[in-house]
Amino acid sequence: MTTLLETDGLTRRFGGLDAVSDVSVTVEQNSVVGFIGPNGAGKTTFINVVTGFLKPSAGRVVFDGNDVTGNRPWDVARAGVSRTFQIAKPFRDLTVRENVALGSMFGPGNSRSVAASLTDADEVLERVGLSERAEARPGELPIADTKRLELAKALAMKPRLLLLDEVMAGLRPAEIDNSIDLIRSLQKDGLTIVVIEHVMKAILAVSDKVIVLHEGKRLAEGPPKEIASDDRVIEAYLGERYAKRVKEGGDA
Amino acid sequence: MAESAARSTRIPQPSSPAGWILVGLGAAGFAYLLYAPVLLLESFLRTLGGVFMFATLALAWNIIGGFAGYASFGNVVFFGLGGYTVATLMAKAGWTFWPALVVAGAVGVLFAVLMGLPILRLRGHYFAIATLSVAEGMREIVVNMPSLTGGGAGITIPAVGLEATTSYPGNTGFYYFFLILLLVALAVTWRVSRSRFGYSLRAIHQDEDSAAALGINTTRAKVAAFALSGLLTALTGAIYAFQQVTIYPNRLFSIEFTVLMVVMAVIGGTGTIFGPVVGAVGLQFLSEYLRQNYLELHTVLFGAIIILAVIFLPNGIVESARELRSTKRIRFLDNVKANRL
Repeated sequence: MTTLLETDGLTRRFGGLDAVSDVSVTVEQNSVVGFIGPNGAGKTTFINVVTGFLKPSAGRVVFDGNDVTGNRPWDVARAGVSRTFQIAKPFRDLTVRENVALGSMFGPGNSRSVAASLTDADEVLERVGLSERAEARPGELPIADTKRLELAKALAMKPRLLLLDEVMAGLRPAEIDNSIDLIRSLQKDGLTIVVIEHVMKAILAVSDKVIVLHEGKRLAEGPPKEIASDDRVIEAYLGERYAKRVKEGGDA
Repeated sequence: MAESAARSTRIPQPSSPAGWILVGLGAAGFAYLLYAPVLLLESFLRTLGGVFMFATLALAWNIIGGFAGYASFGNVVFFGLGGYTVATLMAKAGWTFWPALVVAGAVGVLFAVLMGLPILRLRGHYFAIATLSVAEGMREIVVNMPSLTGGGAGITIPAVGLEATTSYPGNTGFYYFFLILLLVALAVTWRVSRSRFGYSLRAIHQDEDSAAALGINTTRAKVAAFALSGLLTALTGAIYAFQQVTIYPNRLFSIEFTVLMVVMAVIGGTGTIFGPVVGAVGLQFLSEYLRQNYLELHTVLFGAIIILAVIFLPNGIVESARELRSTKRIRFLDNVKANRL
């Protein structure tokens, strides 16, 4: 498999704090890679550095063989990387359809007219199940639909790499299952997807590979099953004492 | 596709008899404005020209302040630069008006780009303060370069006699200049509001990070909006300078102009096409009325009315009227259904 995204020693410091510290990872073409880690592990900072919203303090980002380190966000987006925001950022005074159309209008290479973009938006809304709310304003949507809208905006760009920052947080179990199905079908269509999530069940279900971040560093990497039973991961997530108890319980 | 495009834009399409009546009234009003100089007193023509001028300034401000959401409190700097470019070229270099007007427009664009690149990185209050400072600073520069600008004593464009490079167009002439410029500003705003560029500005206004994540080059879009605003404002200042003949830095870089363009756009409705025009027409006539009837108190009353308007019509006149109409209709229909009338 070829590598679509690669980071090499990626570091981002805030004052004395290394929010992302020497992280080297690869994301293979057409794979789903899950990023997990406790709050403050550096997951969102990692995405912000990769997508150009933050300049790295050190290290490199290579997308599709091109060095995109420190490129501006719109250049990264036009190269084919689209992202969602952890806290949804819809355009509040535009309709849901117009929100999505903006993705198509300015996305990678497809400088499309307003009219064509609105037609594109209808297709994407159909796909994520938001067609009925096309004329609504984002503020009128429930949380699950807000997350769908965030995803639809990113999809309308026709990206090659999709970075999803906690699109399942706050959803009900049935809605999470829907999201899992959607991610799988996007993968089937050839997309490469990075999923950042707190919902362990979801991450383990969709990922081909899971990367664990802890205090800015890459703590572990491997197939979901291995990661789920990795002592260091359990410790990072739940604390030393709990990890010990799990171990003892397992032994007994 | 055509249908979806029509739905997406916020331009009222004449889909009902009432819509066509509005279009007809607009056409009749326009015909009247063209013919007005024959019918009206010269002094009233001058007032109307002033109304057109402020409507253009408010429309120009609306592009950066309304669409892009960057509230410039220094747009008067373009007005003053445009005016001084024309005055200096005509008085000192013996240019005629029209080429000087073109250069004034170019100066507006150039200055907007140079000023915009650094300060459009600032958001909110910081941007407002920075633009205000630039405008005040520019006035000081103009005052302190008397050899070129005439300094605080002002500069006079040769408008009569043998020294006049372009004969003075008079009240009727300036009436048409301002009318044409207003129509240009309206056409530009209409084009912007329907275009990809307009969408990118609205996106930047509502969430700049999200706009950048969707591939919008936010720096370029903001600078372009500022340049377009600067162009229209500089052209307005250029015509105003010629009309005044003698111009002074304290007038051409007056903070009062900035405040008026902001207030007119805000009260009329930012980010709309006709809002700034409605605001300019309303406030100019109100100001004129108050001046004539309450000589002592007119600024106090004018200020009080502006404050009340901002409190009670926070979205502007155009948007509030639209909301009122739509809610009334719903209530009426609900009433019909509820009572099976």
